[in-house]
Amino acid sequence: MDKRVMTLPVMCIVLLLAACAQPPTEQIQAAEKAVKEAQASGASTYIPDEYAKIEGTLAALKKEEMDQEGKFALFRDYGKVEQLAVAAKSEADRLTTEATKKKEEAKAAALQAQRVAQEAVKTTLELVAKAPTGKDRAAVEAIKADAEALKASLNQVQMAIDTADYPTAQTKARAIHEKSNAVSQEIETALSKIGKGKLSTRKKK
Amino acid sequence: MTGQSPQMSWVIPGWGVLALTGTLLSSCVEAVPQDMIKALESIDRDLIELRAAEFSPSEYTRFAHQWMALKTRVQTDEDVIRWPWESNDLEVALLQLQEEGSHTVARLTKERDELRRSAEEKIARVEDRFRMITMQVDSIGSRLVLGQKPVETDLLMKQARSFYEEGQYDRSLDASHRAAQNLVTQAALLSNELGRYANRDRISLWQRMAKDTITWSRVHRTSAIVISKADRLLILYRDGQKVLSYPVRLGFNGIREKQYQGDGATPEGRYRISSKRGQGQTQFYRALALDYPNEEDRRRYRLGRTAGRIPASRAIGGQIEIHGVENELMAQTLGCVMLNNPQMVLLYDRVDKGTPVTIVGALHEHNSVALTLAALDDRREET
Repeated sequence: MDKRVMTLPVMCIVLLLAACAQPPTEQIQAAEKAVKEAQASGASTYIPDEYAKIEGTLAALKKEEMDQEGKFALFRDYGKVEQLAVAAKSEADRLTTEATKKKEEAKAAALQAQRVAQEAVKTTLELVAKAPTGKDRAAVEAIKADAEALKASLNQVQMAIDTADYPTAQTKARAIHEKSNAVSQEIETALSKIGKGKLSTRKKK
Repeated sequence: MTGQSPQMSWVIPGWGVLALTGTLLSSCVEAVPQDMIKALESIDRDLIELRAAEFSPSEYTRFAHQWMALKTRVQTDEDVIRWPWESNDLEVALLQLQEEGSHTVARLTKERDELRRSAEEKIARVEDRFRMITMQVDSIGSRLVLGQKPVETDLLMKQARSFYEEGQYDRSLDASHRAAQNLVTQAALLSNELGRYANRDRISLWQRMAKDTITWSRVHRTSAIVISKADRLLILYRDGQKVLSYPVRLGFNGIREKQYQGDGATPEGRYRISSKRGQGQTQFYRALALDYPNEEDRRRYRLGRTAGRIPASRAIGGQIEIHGVENELMAQTLGCVMLNNPQMVLLYDRVDKGTPVTIVGALHEHNSVALTLAALDDRREET
């Protein structure tokens, strides 16, 4: 038999095998990396529903890849897998941007609330320093204790910010602001009642 | 003769085949009905609105994963056309997820409502108890015993309210729970600091001290003073008989047991008037100086220092008086017993240097402090 006739089927098989589809490993890895980055950026906290979906998409595309791998080599088609991987990466990138933005917004809001609370506590402490040793000394001492407690609570706001728990930092700071204003108001009312009352000389007790 | 040509006899069956094919093709169905996709999208929106991903993350993750898996299949099957009689497992799976999703929405809605109610009730209960404790504590002048605790509780309650208004019921419950724990600590602090007002042995001791003072007044046919801190009352005895009683104000931390200088507490013990200071001799209108600290006070102070209860930098203090008011607007006392000026005049004129003054915590078991502690204890479990 002619040697060329023998070579033809072998070449056909080689060509067919060479033409078999390969999984889009690079795109899948890129999608996985993008999902991990989305999680690291805080997507699971700030946009948990969208993050759950992108995880689901990733799991689905891996399943599709496995389904294709389970098929006879000639029938494999990774076109959809590739399409899904590209879409997942793009979506994960969007989530990273979105989560980063939301996290920054939450941080900015917490820091703003912290500044407002700090200012309010500062004002309260200044007023406490001027507080009259008035009609009810116990009340003045109580106000002092309140102001000290407010000052100490500012540390908790900082701790919440340090651990990126911005919702807690914000609500705590707002509460401190509100309470500080109430205490300041109390002192101002007392000051206006006392007017320029003379303070007593302190005595040994 | 029909008159039909042979070509015509072929045309009729041809049209029939075409019509049949058309009918069959028009009977073909889409692999995924769009209304199912829309229904699932709607369920997803409901779950997002319920904040299922935060409130019940595992449940939402399961739904989202299944939904994305099916959505992927929808995309991969989008070109597939099926015969009407062909089974469609994707449709079955979508239907199943739709059913599960609807149940999840219904259940989470119910659970969220329950959580909202729990958070609301908890806030109300803790706020109520906080108000009650504040009121009781103010009524017995023991606010300072609690130090920074009331503000900490107040801040937690405000946080609980904020979280509740933002729909973060679990965080709201957590903040309320911490506030409730703080209130338990406050009640324990009060009980620890003021428990002696509810202690029978201590009250018996105080009663004996008061009785001895009254007896002394009778035996020596002279004046004696008994002051009850819980009742904020000064009683003057003459020949063992009660002749007058006046309300008094104590030191700013008067309800506590005096330990050292500057603590604002009013001492308890048996004292005597060491000197009388008339107008011009005191800034407080008129004053009756007491012989604090006496030997018993010194012994107690030494014990406190040794036990580490009293800081080394703190002295024992002194100049404890029964006095009038310097300036009504600026009325203050750092640990003394203060009377209104008209009453101070009357008292001042009826006592002498050496008159016994016995200051006790309380004169009877059902004193205001003991009743407050009992009330706090009764309602401890309510929050």
